[in-house]
Order: sequence, then C-alpha cells, then structure tokens
Amino acid sequence: MAALPHPPDAAGERGDGDSEFPTSTFGRPPVRRGRRSRWSGWRRHTLVLVALLGCVGILAFARWIAATPFVDIRCSGQGDGSLVLEGSTLPALQALRGRSVVAIGGNVGPPMPVDALLLHRSPRWQVDDAARARQLAQQEGLATRLAAGTLQLHFADGPVLTLAAAPRGWAGLGWLFWPLAGLALLLLLAAAVVLLARRRPLDLLYALMALCQAGNLLFIALETTRGLGLPAAALAPEMLVRLALDGCTGAAAVTAFARHPTRLPRAGWAAAAAWAAVIVCLALAWTGVLSPLWWWAQGLCLALGSAALAVIARSYRREPNPYAMVLRRFATATLATLLLVTAAVALAAQRGDVEPGAVAAAPVAWALFLASLLLLAPFLGRSRPLLREFALLAGIGTVATSLALLSVAAFSPSALNTLALASFIALALYVGARRWLLNHVVGRSVISTERTFELLYRAAREVQAQPARLSALQARLLRELFEPLEIFSVDRVPARARVVGGGSALVVPVPRADEDPTPPHALVLRYAQHGQRLFTADDARLVARVVDQMRRAVAYDQAVERGRHEERLRIAQDLHDDIGARLLTLMYQAPTPEIEDYIRHTLLDLKTLTRGLAASEHRLSHAAVEWKADLTQRLAAAQAELLWTFQCDIDMRLSVVQWSALTRVLRELVSNALYHGHATRVEVQFSLERGELLLRVADDGNGSKPQAWSHGLGLGGVRKRAKLLGGEVQWLENVPCGIVCELRITGFADRS
Amino acid sequence: MAVKVLILEDNPVARSFLCRVVRESFSDTILITEAGDLENARRHISLTGGAQGLHGVDPFKLILVDLELPDGNGMELLAELGHYPATKIVTTLYSDDDHLFPALQCGADGYLLKEDRFEVLVEELQKIVRGQPPLSPAIARRLLTHFRHGTGSDSHAPDSGFAPASGFTTSKPVPIEKPLDHERLTPRESEVLTYLSKGFTIKEIAGLMGIKWFTVNDHIKSIYKKLNVSSRAEAAVLASKQGLV
Repeated sequence: MAALPHPPDAAGERGDGDSEFPTSTFGRPPVRRGRRSRWSGWRRHTLVLVALLGCVGILAFARWIAATPFVDIRCSGQGDGSLVLEGSTLPALQALRGRSVVAIGGNVGPPMPVDALLLHRSPRWQVDDAARARQLAQQEGLATRLAAGTLQLHFADGPVLTLAAAPRGWAGLGWLFWPLAGLALLLLLAAAVVLLARRRPLDLLYALMALCQAGNLLFIALETTRGLGLPAAALAPEMLVRLALDGCTGAAAVTAFARHPTRLPRAGWAAAAAWAAVIVCLALAWTGVLSPLWWWAQGLCLALGSAALAVIARSYRREPNPYAMVLRRFATATLATLLLVTAAVALAAQRGDVEPGAVAAAPVAWALFLASLLLLAPFLGRSRPLLREFALLAGIGTVATSLALLSVAAFSPSALNTLALASFIALALYVGARRWLLNHVVGRSVISTERTFELLYRAAREVQAQPARLSALQARLLRELFEPLEIFSVDRVPARARVVGGGSALVVPVPRADEDPTPPHALVLRYAQHGQRLFTADDARLVARVVDQMRRAVAYDQAVERGRHEERLRIAQDLHDDIGARLLTLMYQAPTPEIEDYIRHTLLDLKTLTRGLAASEHRLSHAAVEWKADLTQRLAAAQAELLWTFQCDIDMRLSVVQWSALTRVLRELVSNALYHGHATRVEVQFSLERGELLLRVADDGNGSKPQAWSHGLGLGGVRKRAKLLGGEVQWLENVPCGIVCELRITGFADRS
Repeated sequence: MAVKVLILEDNPVARSFLCRVVRESFSDTILITEAGDLENARRHISLTGGAQGLHGVDPFKLILVDLELPDGNGMELLAELGHYPATKIVTTLYSDDDHLFPALQCGADGYLLKEDRFEVLVEELQKIVRGQPPLSPAIARRLLTHFRHGTGSDSHAPDSGFAPASGFTTSKPVPIEKPLDHERLTPRESEVLTYLSKGFTIKEIAGLMGIKWFTVNDHIKSIYKKLNVSSRAEAAVLASKQGLV
C-alpha cells in the first residue's frame, strides 16, 4: 500500500466521528507534552479529591453494613427447599447442626416460616417473581426481628433457640467485600481519569457506564457478606435499581459506540431508541406490569447488548479502526457470556434444588468481567498486562462458573463437585485459550520476533548503503512492521514516537540526513494490521528505538564516508604528484613517439584514476560535457571532426567506478580511431534511456575486420571495463569505411 | 629587441621541454630566463622592476609558472604579479578545476597541461598569447554560479540546466564583497557562459547565437576581465577565493 500523502489539515476534516487523533489528542500538543505536566495542577488535585471522596463513600457504606445486626450462622438449602443449619461460631448451636430451621421468631410478631429462599441473596438474579417476593418478605422479617434485638430459630422437630442479634462489625463483612469495593473504587477512578484527561461529552458516557457498574459491584459486595441478616432497605429496591444500572450501562454503550470511534449516521436515533427502551422497561417494572420480571430484565440487557454489538460492528465496517474492532470483540464477549449466564441461571432455577451459592457465582463473575473490560477499554493503547490478565481471568471465570452451573443443573452433582468442575474448566480454558484470546481479543503483535529482526536488519543494511533514502526506508520498515491501513506525514513533529487516538494511530518522527532539504516531519500510521490491531506503548518504544538506530546508522555511515573520502584524496594526491611527475619526465625523454604516446596515455589514465578517487560522485550531464570538451580538444589537435550526440532521460549520479570506466572507454576508443584508424571524423553517440546505456563510437578511418584484431592492452581494457559495468561491447565495420564500436549496458541506472 | 620569457619549473627536463615549446611558438627573438623555485623567480622579477612592474625596466613579456614548487605554490607568485605587465600562464599536470579555477582567479591568463603533445602545446600557447583564454564547461558552470550569487538575482541569465551549486560540494554560496555594477554579466555573456557550461564549443555557440566566432571570443574575454576585477587587491582575491574555492 502506498503512503497516502494526506495534508495534515485533511486529517482533521474527516468528520468528528473519526478517531480522536487529529482533532483532540494530537491537536493539543501542549497539553500532551508529558504525563508529568499533564497530571500536575488542577487535574491532579481533582483526581485526588475524587479518590478521597470515593474512599470515604466506601468506608461509610462499609460502616453502615457493619452496623446492621446479624447472627453468625451458616445454613444451606436442601433439595426440598428446606433450610438446614450447617455450622456456627456460637457454642449453643453446635448441637443442632444438620437440623432444619422451619421458622424464625423474636420480640416482634409471630414466628415466620422460612425456607432456603432466605439464603438467596440477590433479588436481581431471582428468576421467579413469586420466589423473589417470598425471598424479600423473609429477608425483611429477618431484618425486623434482628433489629428488635433477638432472633429465635424454630427447628423442625421442636427445639427453639434464642439468639441475641449483634451488629455485624467490620469482621462480619466477609472476605469478598473489600476486593469488590476496591474494584468499584477503581471504576470510579477510571471514570474520573478519563473525564479529566479529555473532557469530552463522549467521556461522560464512559463515566456513566463505569459508575453504574461500580454501583452493581457495591450491591454484590453487600450481598456477599456472611451470616444471616442483610439491610432490608437495600434489598427491597435492589431488583429495580440494578435493572436501572444495567439498562443505563447498555444504553450508554449503544450511544457511545454510535459516535466513537466513527460517528454513524442516525447515531441519535439509535441512542434515543436504546434510552427509550430502558425508560419504558423501568417504568413498567415499577408499576409491576412486567412479569416475569427477571426474564424481561435479561431480555432488555441482551437486547441492549445486541444493539451495541450491531452498532460497533457497523462502525467498524464504515471505517476499519482497530479500536472499533477491539470494542466489537469486547461487546461480543460480554454478550456471549451474558447469554451463557442467563441460560445457566434459568436452567438452575428450573431445577430448583441447586445450591444458591453456585447460582450466585455466575452473575458475580459476569459483573466482574464487565467491570474489568470497562477498566481496560480506555487504556488499550497503554498495554496494561495486569489489567488484561484480570479481564481474561474474569471472562474465563464467568464462562467456567456458567458452564459448571449448567452441568449442575443438567446432572445435579454435589456442591463440592460443582466447585471442582468450575476450577477445572477455568484452568483448562486459561491454559488452552489464553494465548489465542490475547492475540485475538486485544490484538497483540502478530509478526514474529524472527520476522521483526529480519526486517530491522535489512532496513539497517539498506540505510547504511543508501543514507539518502533514509525516510523512504523508514516508512517502508514501519509499513512492513505494522501493516497500517494508511501512512501520511504531518509537519508537527513529536519528540519521540508515541501512540495516539487510544491506540488507533502511531506518530513517528522522521530522522533526517544532514543535507536533507525536506522540512522536519513525522509519519502517522493509522490502523495497524489493516485495522486489526491497536498500537501499544510497546510499539511506540520499539519504534523509538528503531528511529534512534537508523539515525545512528546514518551518522556512522557519514563519518565512515568522510574518512574514506579523505583517505582517497590522500592516495590520489600522492599518486598524482609522485608517479605523475616521474611519468612526465619519462615522457619527455622518450626515445620514440610511440613510447612517448604510450607514456602519455599512461599518464592520462593515472590522472583519470586520481580524479575519480578524489571526486565522490559525478552527475551524468556534467561528466558528459567534460567528455565532450575533452574530445573536442583532442580531435581538434588531430584535425579531426567530432559529431557528438547525447541524450538521457534521467540525469543520474555516476559512481566513481562508472565515471572512471566510461571516461577511459571513451578515450581509448577515440584514441584508436585517431592513431590506428587515422580517422578524420569521429561520431560519438551517448544515450541513457529507461536505464539502458548505449555508447556508440563510429569513425571513418581505415580500420577493418575487427574480428581479426589481436586484443592488445587498449581493446582488452575496453572489454574489461565494459564487463565491470555489466555490459557488452562489440566492434563492427562501419559503412562506407571505418569501425563502429558499441557499448551496451542494460540496467545501468540501477547500478549506481 | 628580444622578448623576455621567464620559465618557472623545478623539473629540468620539463623546463627544457617548455623552452622548446616557447621557442617554437614565436618568431621573435626569445630570451629565456629559467628558474627552479619561487625564490629564484622573485629575484629575476625584481631585477626587471619588481612585482608591480612600475620601473619599466624591460619586464618579462611571458611568464610560465608551475604550481607545485619546492618552496611553495606558483599561485602565490601569480597573486603577487597581479599588476605585472606580462602574459602569465600556468603550466602544470593538474587538469582539474580545483586547480584551474583558483589559478585564473589569481590572474593567470592561460593554463597549459604539461603532458600534452608538443604541437598541441605550441598551438595552445599561441592562442593564449593572442588573447583566447581556456574555458572548460566546469569552469563556465562555476563562473555562472559566481556571477549569479555575486550579483544577486541575475534574471537575464538563462537557466543552465543544472541546479545551482549542486555539482560541487565545496562551493557553498558564501556572500562575497558586493560586486560593482560593471561586474554584472550582460545577457549575451550569460548566454555564452551557459552554452559553454553545457559543453558547446565556441564554433557551435557562434552558430547557435548567430554571431561570428570571434564575437564569442570577445564575450569570453570580457567575462574574464570581469572575473579578474576581483584580483586587483589581494583582500578581494581572498574573499572571492573563500566564495569560490
């Protein structure tokens, strides 16, 4: 693919639905100068403030839960729906282990019958409406009795045990509470960071999604506390609130995907439809019309997920931005796992006798997965391996627990087996699919290390051979390394290579050779791997190193070339001065004109050689006029006529070897015509067309039968030089008299 | 009265060869003074009235100077003899423009290559004395650049077909002393110089411009005169050397 010469302004005019690169992130370089400068000042203060408020909020939440009364007993549900005491830290209860509890009583009202539903924590994931109502009633009854101070447990065969309710305390929060609360806090911080960094309306949607899921996590944290007794005030509206949170997340996703990274036509309509569906659903749920509510809720979530997936898939088809591709994969993964979880929970509920803990695990894992994807999304370009692994684990956990739940629902193994099965599936998935998932979901480098090395090595070699082509070679290397959909140059040069547009583009400064007349510029690579992959901070580092090495290679090459040139000059000077002077003396004292001529030619050859050594390169047109002037003078001295034609389609630069070989060939041929053929007219034709060089020297002398010539020093030299240049030479008889010599070199222009 | 000629050449064989060339070239009675180094040459010149040639005591009419000498470079002597009323010719083995051009800048009227055949040398010498200085295409290119940069934008000069100052890396356009108005090339002179830089011979140029060949020669002489203006003062020589060499 050719580098597209986009003018820098054009990039910004491709609609604001384009990736944010030209308009926002790269368009404000002063803000972007460095992380330090960016995150100092008001941004840092606000972020610290948000973090503090978040911590205070979480602590207040935890304190509120810690203050609610509970009894520290562990129960389990039986297949027939009865509630059985499993264990407790209270010594009075030790004797009653394994007996089922049929009712709870206390200071308030008559004893209330209870069953295994008391163990179901989350009303949101209660499939049956009636069961949810009973669950809420039992929880509320339990809460009222606990609030009154005492709780009586009525066992199946008569015994009644009275327990004193005590505040839960910090220790009663359970081991899952703090990690979940921490994750909620992280989501809050991610929302704050994104909002503060970019301050775009679009980021409000991200913040909304993050906060909704943070809320969900807090509910889950609340419901994973141990013992019996939950704040009834939080549980009663839980179903509706969590539905609202999930609905908002889905609708925000639809709205955001319709505008970012590519703005779709009728984006507003899609967003409006999503929000309308959420509002209508909530309103109907509030009035109680929707029944069964759980199925409606799942239907809404799945519909919103499908809508988001459709929108982002369309966005990717419109413009193959790898960011859209990754978002599409995220959406697919979320939707698929949600479907799986829904199916698993529905099946388990149908069966009715599945351990509530096993049912609750799958939705929790799914919520964690969604939260981790949300955390990952804004930082894709920065390559956070820890986050990535976490998201991967959460995803695998969701799938594993769902599968385990499905199998439990299908074959009803014991709870222990469920756990073992889930662990086994998770481990197998992690080991087997990790590499594949990393490569395909996040889009890691597909190019192998070996290939990378090969490309780098070749580029370095070529840069050393042709330093002038540095920028072209660099562009080619970058294209081969990343296979971007487009490359264009901008005149705003960053100090070093960096990733912009959330990983959709990479800006690389172009090193310049010393005498490079082009103004400084940078290359922008967009949509790596044909839009299949995001640029990461690792890519930026690699490219920075590459640029550095190339610059060094050029500098080194220049130094070497300077040294070589100086060395050549010195050799040339010594040769010319010492050997030249001696040859001159010899020539003056030559006994015969033949020897004199021979020495003169030697001297001329020496001078050509030394001139070739001293000069670094010759432009073809300059060399041609020198040849012509030289021949004119020599032919005029011999009273012969010169007919000179010269044409070339490119004025290439001759290497020293080419220049010196051509000069000597020409001189030798003309000398032959003059001194052996006694020509009065020499015709020299020189042409270089489409890389093919043709040198034709024709005379009207008395030479004939060139096939019969013995190849002495002169003709041998011509042959040797023709071969050196990669061409062929042949002598023919001229019409009506004389000799024609033709030197033909194909691909001459490529050999310089 | 005999024509006095000074030949400065350190190689005795070459010296006697040059003597033969000089004797062959002119029909006048020739009185040749030979010198093997700069010191001797300066001594002979001061005997005939010094470097400025002011005393008018029978000065040399023709001076042949070799460039590489045991006690220095012939160019030094040429610079000293800026006003000496003789035809000054460089005889050397160096045929490259890096030697030729500075020699012309120092006031040399001609340039002979010692390895040329006897007959060629005789003919060239005669030409120079008649006032036809050598002008290779590379020199013409340099002159074009020189005058173009020296006189600001000489819009009359037709494009030589070569990117200015691209052919030789050493001649970056250094601002030299601002030239006087009469140093500008006329459009005709520019044209001649452009043709020369493209390798046309004087005869061909005459045909292309529709003028006689000796008119072309006049233009060339005039160009040289303009070039030599800068060699009147040694400071100017240095300045233009910095700009050109």
